Amino acid sequence: MSASTLTIAGRIINQLVRDRRTIILIAVVPLVIASLVGVSVPDKKILDYTAPAILAVLILFFGFLLTGISFLRERSQGTLERLMASPVSRLDIVGGYLLGFLLFAVVQTMVLFFYLIYVIKVNYYGDLWQILVFQVLIGIGAVCMGTFFSVLAKNEFQMVQFIPMIIVPQMFLCGLLWPVSQMPEYLQWLANVLPMTYGVEGIRALMLQGQNLLDIGKEIGVLAAYAVGLLVLSAITLRRGTG
Amino acid sequence: MTNAAIAVSNLTFNYGSQKVIDELSLEVPGGISFGLLGPNGAGKTTLIRLLVGLLKARAGTILTLGRKPSPHIAHLIGYMPQLPSLYGELSVIQNVEFFARIYGLRDREQRTQRVEAVIKLVDLWGHRRKSVTNLSGGMKQRASLACAIVHNPPLLFLDEPTVGLDPELRVTFWEYFSALTRQGATLIISSHTMDDAAHCDRLAFMRDGRVIALGSPDELRQATGRSQASLEDAFLHFVRREVKKNVG
Repeated sequence: MSASTLTIAGRIINQLVRDRRTIILIAVVPLVIASLVGVSVPDKKILDYTAPAILAVLILFFGFLLTGISFLRERSQGTLERLMASPVSRLDIVGGYLLGFLLFAVVQTMVLFFYLIYVIKVNYYGDLWQILVFQVLIGIGAVCMGTFFSVLAKNEFQMVQFIPMIIVPQMFLCGLLWPVSQMPEYLQWLANVLPMTYGVEGIRALMLQGQNLLDIGKEIGVLAAYAVGLLVLSAITLRRGTG
Repeated sequence: MTNAAIAVSNLTFNYGSQKVIDELSLEVPGGISFGLLGPNGAGKTTLIRLLVGLLKARAGTILTLGRKPSPHIAHLIGYMPQLPSLYGELSVIQNVEFFARIYGLRDREQRTQRVEAVIKLVDLWGHRRKSVTNLSGGMKQRASLACAIVHNPPLLFLDEPTVGLDPELRVTFWEYFSALTRQGATLIISSHTMDDAAHCDRLAFMRDGRVIALGSPDELRQATGRSQASLEDAFLHFVRREVKKNVG
């Protein structure tokens, strides 16, 4: 990891820490949504079953949103152009973003997870640390996805359009609402190429079936491949020029 | 290989079907302030972005400090974009410190000294801990300049650096620029005001993506054939000549 990557990550952390309202929103919004889930699901068994999937989807959603909008803002305010004129490589920029936002994605994930476990009283059976490691992996995927799509978007409006386009289909197809196996075959095929499906399957295996990380190698492999692929694609597609 | 700070030959660049830079050739010697003068849309900003390496030319060659623009020579270049382009949530000192690190000032003591020196140079020491968002437009411009010069680059691109500044601050900026050229730096400054033009050692008048005249402010004034001609008169003289040439 280069010094420039760490410098960029440090700057992102500094920026967010100085923006108190954003920090509060990062912490509070997931809790509000988790509370809504907690009180709106009448059956405790259903809650236990759906909570892991909701957790995975929320990590993806917030990670995507936070990174995507921030990266785009960097471009619209001209700071990305300034960075691109400097000696830092595109991989340094994308890597710095990943590292910086990952910290917040991890914090958000922890807050959400512990809130669901200790306040909403969701039951789980696996090892706590293994669940957290897997959640961080989903967070990495979300940050990489947010970075990639913000590179493709030319303005905030386009970025906002990516949310229903990228996140919502994954919410419907990942097995959160009904099992993937009960969907029409062509939708199953589609669900099986989307990363969130593996995020939900993995977290359910860990939380509901008490499996360990070694048992969900396929899910980890697919999510990691997505993350690396999107990171590399982000660096390749990041224009040195912004015009 | 040329010794010029900038050597551009037959440069062409299009935005879609619109030709923004049209077979432009230019040479800028080192250690001077060089003004790119022209109205909005003349291609000044595009030319600077091509020279910095932010855009790729469609045709022609660019040599910046004797080499093609690339990240390998980026540490020798300072770039101040037209907009202040700073991190609003961060303080002045955090912004300058960030760019110092990005441009490779790794030694902490050296970096701290340099960051302090440039913030004092642009007269923002009293505001160093303020968030950039809370600064006035002129202060933001000064902070942006500090970020561009913190690594002491031998070649500096300043895109409309005096836009929106009050007359007093404009004079202060030109004092900074003169001090930098005295230290041996080459400054490429774009502007559309003739007030800025008068401060430059050499000028290129630009129109429609081409250089229509090149010379020192005095040479350009004298080219009009009138003893009292201003730079504005000189610019109009060359524009009319260009129009005649095209019609003919």
